[in-house]
Amino acid sequence: MNLLTHYRYTLLAIATVLLLPVMLSSGSLATEVLIFALASLGCNLLLGYTGLMSFGQGIFLGLGSYTAGLSLLHMRVPLLVALLAAMVVGAVAAAAVGWLSIRRRGIYFALLTLALGQMFYFLAYTLKDITGGDNGLLNIPRPQLSVFNTTLLPTATQWQYYGFVALVFVVAFTLIQRVADSVLGRTLLAIRDNETRAAAIGYNVKLFKLIAFTISGAITGLAGALYAILIGVAPLSSIEYQASESILIMTVIGGTGNLFASVLGAGLYVLAGDWLSTLWPRWLMLLGILLIVVSLYMQKGLWGLGAQLIDRLKPRRAPRDPSAVKRKQNP
Amino acid sequence: MSIYLLQIINGIGIGMLYFLMSVGLSIIFGLLGFVNFAHGAFFMLGAYICFEISGSALGFWWALILVPLIVGAFAWLTEKFLLRYIYQLPHGFHILLTLGVALVLQEAVIVWWGPIGKEIAPPALLEGVVVLGSFVYPIYRLFVIAFTALMALLLWWLLDGTRLGSIVRAGSESTEMVSLLGININRIISLIFTLGTGIAGMAGALAAPIRGAEPFMGVEALGIAFVVVVTGGMGSFGGALGGGLLIGIVQSLMSTIWPEGAHLMIYVAMAAVMLLRPSGLFGRG
Repeated sequence: MNLLTHYRYTLLAIATVLLLPVMLSSGSLATEVLIFALASLGCNLLLGYTGLMSFGQGIFLGLGSYTAGLSLLHMRVPLLVALLAAMVVGAVAAAAVGWLSIRRRGIYFALLTLALGQMFYFLAYTLKDITGGDNGLLNIPRPQLSVFNTTLLPTATQWQYYGFVALVFVVAFTLIQRVADSVLGRTLLAIRDNETRAAAIGYNVKLFKLIAFTISGAITGLAGALYAILIGVAPLSSIEYQASESILIMTVIGGTGNLFASVLGAGLYVLAGDWLSTLWPRWLMLLGILLIVVSLYMQKGLWGLGAQLIDRLKPRRAPRDPSAVKRKQNP
Repeated sequence: MSIYLLQIINGIGIGMLYFLMSVGLSIIFGLLGFVNFAHGAFFMLGAYICFEISGSALGFWWALILVPLIVGAFAWLTEKFLLRYIYQLPHGFHILLTLGVALVLQEAVIVWWGPIGKEIAPPALLEGVVVLGSFVYPIYRLFVIAFTALMALLLWWLLDGTRLGSIVRAGSESTEMVSLLGININRIISLIFTLGTGIAGMAGALAAPIRGAEPFMGVEALGIAFVVVVTGGMGSFGGALGGGLLIGIVQSLMSTIWPEGAHLMIYVAMAAVMLLRPSGLFGRG
């Protein structure tokens, strides 16, 4: 039982991975859910655990896509090497972007990440010879997962690739959960709750923010690489403002209280997007309205809403809050 | 006349437009500590309403008068029914709510006018070019420089020479103190939000004959407005003017030196300023 509660989020992640193939008929859609769940996890580590609202997650997603694409196209590296390279590039870029934007706090930080995101977009757009500009990087191969020419996991069909991504997802989720539960994660929470206090206690706030940023960049880079390999293209759209915006929105809609909420948010975003965009191409308007509702009425996101509902459904025991008793006695 | 001088004139024109686009964002931030992520969407709305009015019997001149009023009315409603309820929340929710408003506006524009951009002709009076030495220059762009300069003077007078201006500047120091002095700060906030956003709409209308109107120009405008206020320093009139001009001239000069990288260099300039002076060129502290 103790073990069960200790690993409950990892078990939820595994359950998600197993449930998606039952619920969805399209392997690529299921894979997309997991990929964006990874990107959203990276964003959640910043927003939920460090209190940094980054509008630059698209930078790392896009760089991850390009890195994986270029290394697979020109160097024919093995699958895992391409993913690792994307993570390293994502982490390095995040360290640079973070170093520049952490100099300012609060709202300035959000503005800076957005502006730097635009900078990377125009950089990718300008370097057409490397990135393919508007068309993106085309014909990216999808190698199998193999060691010394022995195939461990085939990735040819969409569901086979889903299996591989699912494995990566569960491992990454468990690792990020470990980070969040570690002393590092608790320190980040302390910084989120009160930056001045954390600094007064003696924590090097900027360094911790930078560490969070670097981890987030690595995860998002990984997601970008998996995405490029999924669709066979590293599109310009993955480094665009819209990519950063979507990642942030799915994170917020899911909720920032814990990491699994991001999986919910990404799932809702990707699946609702897939379903609604066939019904009504302007479904983003509904998303805008949802965003307004979330910021006005359900500030803890879907996860918070769910927790509230469960709390309300639980049988009422003796009221713990003494003020509640008082109110009952004198109506 | 050297090409660089011409590009500097051009850059002043672009910069003044950038100033007009960002000044509202900056003043609202100064007063409320609030950043409106829908600011670019209101700029885009201004361009589209300009397209609609200048294509009708009223023409471009009426558009220039009506657009700020209409966009201002939209902004006033947004403030009254949405923003007012979230001022006390952490700034993350300000961002999310206005992001939602921006998405709704962007999609509404696509529903109304379609996803393909619109061209807007400059008014007949300002069509054509003037000859400057060995170069030709569109008259409309000269008009934009003159008109935006006039607007900047008006705004400067409003903020520096009137009672409202002193209240706004005092509010930037402490809204609480201002309301303790018996001033209805909520009305001032509502007024300034309407005014600042209406000006962004006017910038959209002015920019429309130069760059057309398309649904995603709002995001681009928002990015540039952020660069302007971050470079110039946030919360002040001077910061928006200085930042706007600097960014406009950088963009314009770079478009002769390295055309593909002109947009990229705006952001590089911002990054450089951030490294040297994190509070912006004209920012305090």
